[in-house]
Amino acid sequence: MLQEVIAFKNTKCECGHQNPVGTVLCEACGRPLEEEDRESTEVLEMRYDGMARRSQRVNPNFIDRIWNFFSSVKIAVYMIILTLIGSMLGSIFPQESTFLNVDPSTYYKDTYGTWGLVYYKLGLTHTYESWWFILLLVMIGASLIICSLDRVLPLYKALTKQRILKHMQFLTRQRVVYQGPVEGTVEDWMKQVSAPIKKKGYRVYTDGNALLAEKYRFSRWGPYVIHIGLIIFLLAVLARGLPGLKMDQHIPFPEGEIKHIPDTSFYLKNEKFTVEYYTQEEMPEEFRNKGKTLPKLFNTQATLYQCTADCDDPTKEPKLEEVTKHNIQVNDPLDYKGLMAYQFDYDMTPILRAVSPSLVDVKTGQDFGKFKLDIRNPQRNYTVGDYSLELKEKYNDFGLDENGKPVTKTPNPNAPAFLFLIKGPDLPAAGVQYIYFPKEIDKERFQQDAINTKLNGGSAPLMLDVKGMENVDFSLSTSYLNIRVDKVMPFIWIGASIVMLGLVLGFYWQHRRIWLRIDDGMLTLGAHTNKNWFGIRREISAILKKMNLDVDEKSMDNGGKNA
Amino acid sequence: MKLLDFSSNMFVVAFFLYCAAFILFAVALMGRRWSNRDPEAHMKKWGGIAFLGSSLGLIFHLIFFVTRWIGGEHIPVSNMYEFMSFLSMMVMVAFTVVYLIYRKTLLGLFAVPITIIIMAYAAVFPQEVQPLIPSLQSYWLKIHVTLAAAGESFFAIGFAAGFMYLIRTVDFKSKEKKAKKQQRWVEVIFFSIILVISFIATVFIFRSAGYESVFTQTKVTGQVGAQTTITEKVSYKLPPIVGPYHSKIESYEPFLGMSKPLFNAPSWMNGVNAGRKFNTIIWSVLTGLILYGILRLIVRKPLGRAASPLMDGIDADDLDEISYRAIAIGFPIFTLGALIFAMIWAQIAWGIFWSWDPKEVWALICWLFYSAYLHLRLSRGWQGSNSAWLAVIGFLVVMFTLVGVNLVIAGLHSYAGVE
Repeated sequence: MLQEVIAFKNTKCECGHQNPVGTVLCEACGRPLEEEDRESTEVLEMRYDGMARRSQRVNPNFIDRIWNFFSSVKIAVYMIILTLIGSMLGSIFPQESTFLNVDPSTYYKDTYGTWGLVYYKLGLTHTYESWWFILLLVMIGASLIICSLDRVLPLYKALTKQRILKHMQFLTRQRVVYQGPVEGTVEDWMKQVSAPIKKKGYRVYTDGNALLAEKYRFSRWGPYVIHIGLIIFLLAVLARGLPGLKMDQHIPFPEGEIKHIPDTSFYLKNEKFTVEYYTQEEMPEEFRNKGKTLPKLFNTQATLYQCTADCDDPTKEPKLEEVTKHNIQVNDPLDYKGLMAYQFDYDMTPILRAVSPSLVDVKTGQDFGKFKLDIRNPQRNYTVGDYSLELKEKYNDFGLDENGKPVTKTPNPNAPAFLFLIKGPDLPAAGVQYIYFPKEIDKERFQQDAINTKLNGGSAPLMLDVKGMENVDFSLSTSYLNIRVDKVMPFIWIGASIVMLGLVLGFYWQHRRIWLRIDDGMLTLGAHTNKNWFGIRREISAILKKMNLDVDEKSMDNGGKNA
Repeated sequence: MKLLDFSSNMFVVAFFLYCAAFILFAVALMGRRWSNRDPEAHMKKWGGIAFLGSSLGLIFHLIFFVTRWIGGEHIPVSNMYEFMSFLSMMVMVAFTVVYLIYRKTLLGLFAVPITIIIMAYAAVFPQEVQPLIPSLQSYWLKIHVTLAAAGESFFAIGFAAGFMYLIRTVDFKSKEKKAKKQQRWVEVIFFSIILVISFIATVFIFRSAGYESVFTQTKVTGQVGAQTTITEKVSYKLPPIVGPYHSKIESYEPFLGMSKPLFNAPSWMNGVNAGRKFNTIIWSVLTGLILYGILRLIVRKPLGRAASPLMDGIDADDLDEISYRAIAIGFPIFTLGALIFAMIWAQIAWGIFWSWDPKEVWALICWLFYSAYLHLRLSRGWQGSNSAWLAVIGFLVVMFTLVGVNLVIAGLHSYAGVE
């Protein structure tokens, strides 16, 4: 308390202005307030024009201490450096997120040996999702807000109520100073000097024997605009972690098939997928005829449908309505109201879609007719001639477990197999079991005939046989699309644009001020800029030259360490 | 194809013009103390001539760029050769901009060699025009890569001026601990530059001699039980001191009595061509040490001390200002080109604006580094020596981002062949 009273006493300037506690330079005339500072001849500390800041309170309480912590530039730099080091560490080995299907607990050890294991154990394989990294980002965000508030308010106050006549010490202790005699009356000289100053784009204010010229004040707000942009950007980045704001799926789309996009009401059809390679003529000479191929184009001709009715009813076919068509290429995604589809990968392996096998009598070879078997969505029952086929079991990826029982190894239709119960004329009343592999290669690999013999205790009287390629329907290729929704993207771009605006304001313009006063035929000039002292010295030298004062640019330099 | 040949010739012309400009800058600076002349007038006259020379080089460099663009039918920034050539051109553009602001002749003595070294480094890479793969077919290639390079070249000028500041201000005669430390680090920077030069020189010497040795390397991948063995041919263009891990010699062109590598790379060096890269590093260090040794024998003192008289009479504050200003000009351009436009392109091509790809991470690291530089300078009064050191280190970080990341860390960006 006592300290504050003492400090309070000291804050009244000789010009009569009452300054808040913590003020370095009088808000009105710019005279240093500290006794010690007044005796010095060093260049003044001009940051925030010597205004009091909240973070400089005497006797800080708990909240003040937190405020002080985050308003410190030193702390901010430490946090930047820590983030930098963290980012470096994360780039040593590939992050887990770069792989789609990898078990990190074994992958890093197998690929990178002991170092990989250590890296994994330290949690560096997911550096950028780890709590400490996110905490650093949050702390930088807090620092951005508090640093800015702590400084921008006093600075705004200082710049909106500037007094034109400044204390002599304020002028002579600027970083750019000139003193010298002038001729003529004060009024004439001031009027004369205003013209070249105005020509340089300054706004000029005079008050008796004093003059203030100022330009590009907006540049001072640059850093704060940058910080606002960064805060928006960081908030948007953190918001991406919230559920429901983004979606990211990699889905295979076989050519010619309409496929539902999970968790949406959309369906997408890959009408046609094309890969083009550069021809030998298009390749550089060094590459030609060396067996090198270079892809030229990946294109998925896509149609997007939206479900309008019966979407969730499994018994009914959903009603689809075409909403858009697009040729999806690597740098040209499909975009429909924020639903994006990117060309991600492709697979030229043909995929069996449907077969139309005929039911044939093994002995006589009599053909009873054929039916269409959809590999992905087979019907429960088929009728062929007088026979009925009931689908008992379907295996997408046929295999045998350790007990010799048939199982589906994966949900992918790599080796589809169908177990039918066939009933009809000349067959036992309970029917005949028949396993069918539509792919010729699987028939041999799994020995279809042997299984069927085993199932019925004797060779099957009937068989399913595909007669000719016209009875096989397959898609030539599969296009893998990356389906994404990212609802925070607009905020990312808004944040980035604001950052850019601030950078341009802050770096390509400088806030420049020139103070002049004439006392008894003696001119005193002090000038301040937040950046580029070289530029302001050159400008002042040119202005003084117009007033027939030949002053060397460098001689005005008063030293000091203000940017 | 005729136009592309013409283009390559322009590259060579520009290269030699830069070399000439470098010599002229040296004459402008060192000739100050020649007899019967006014130092100021001499600097002004020869500095002007040197700047004309470097500008002429830049014009030819631009002709190279434009003709290659027309001949190759896409902007030539799509592989390492093209990117490095472009970067060196942008360094000259940045130098020209800063020269026109400050008119400091001396800057040329340090900025032009950076261009020359980067250009020579570019020529190490395969030079044919490659057709663009689908992921590069975007107008963002033009915008993102060119702007990023422009920002980085201003950082290069910041480096040049910062390094000059150090040579000017470090007390090379002092035996004090702090000064000693600074002397040592200046020497380290000199040695690193020599290392790069010797790497380039070694590659070109053996290339012109047509050297080649071939190994067959067997690689075992996968887990125990499900291993696959791949046999690959590895071709060395520098005499193998170290062979690839687990390899056999297929053909070995003897060099100085060596008929087989002294040893093979250890097993943990299992990246793409790790053995060959390691061999290249050994060669660069060896020739670098030899070159450095020769230079030390000629000047008979540390290079920093030998260079410091060059800077006599140069205003250190001006150098500090130039270094800072170059970085201040470059920072917004870098942010826009290397981060914001990169994010936009990534959003279009990869579906996500930021995927923590090593190149992206390192661009962010550069940005964070220069942000720290700016905060320290603007708010904590780090000027002069501290600031100059940061400017020097910053550019090393930039160069690691551009070269080191491709060399050491693989990622989505490493479409460009290195080495």
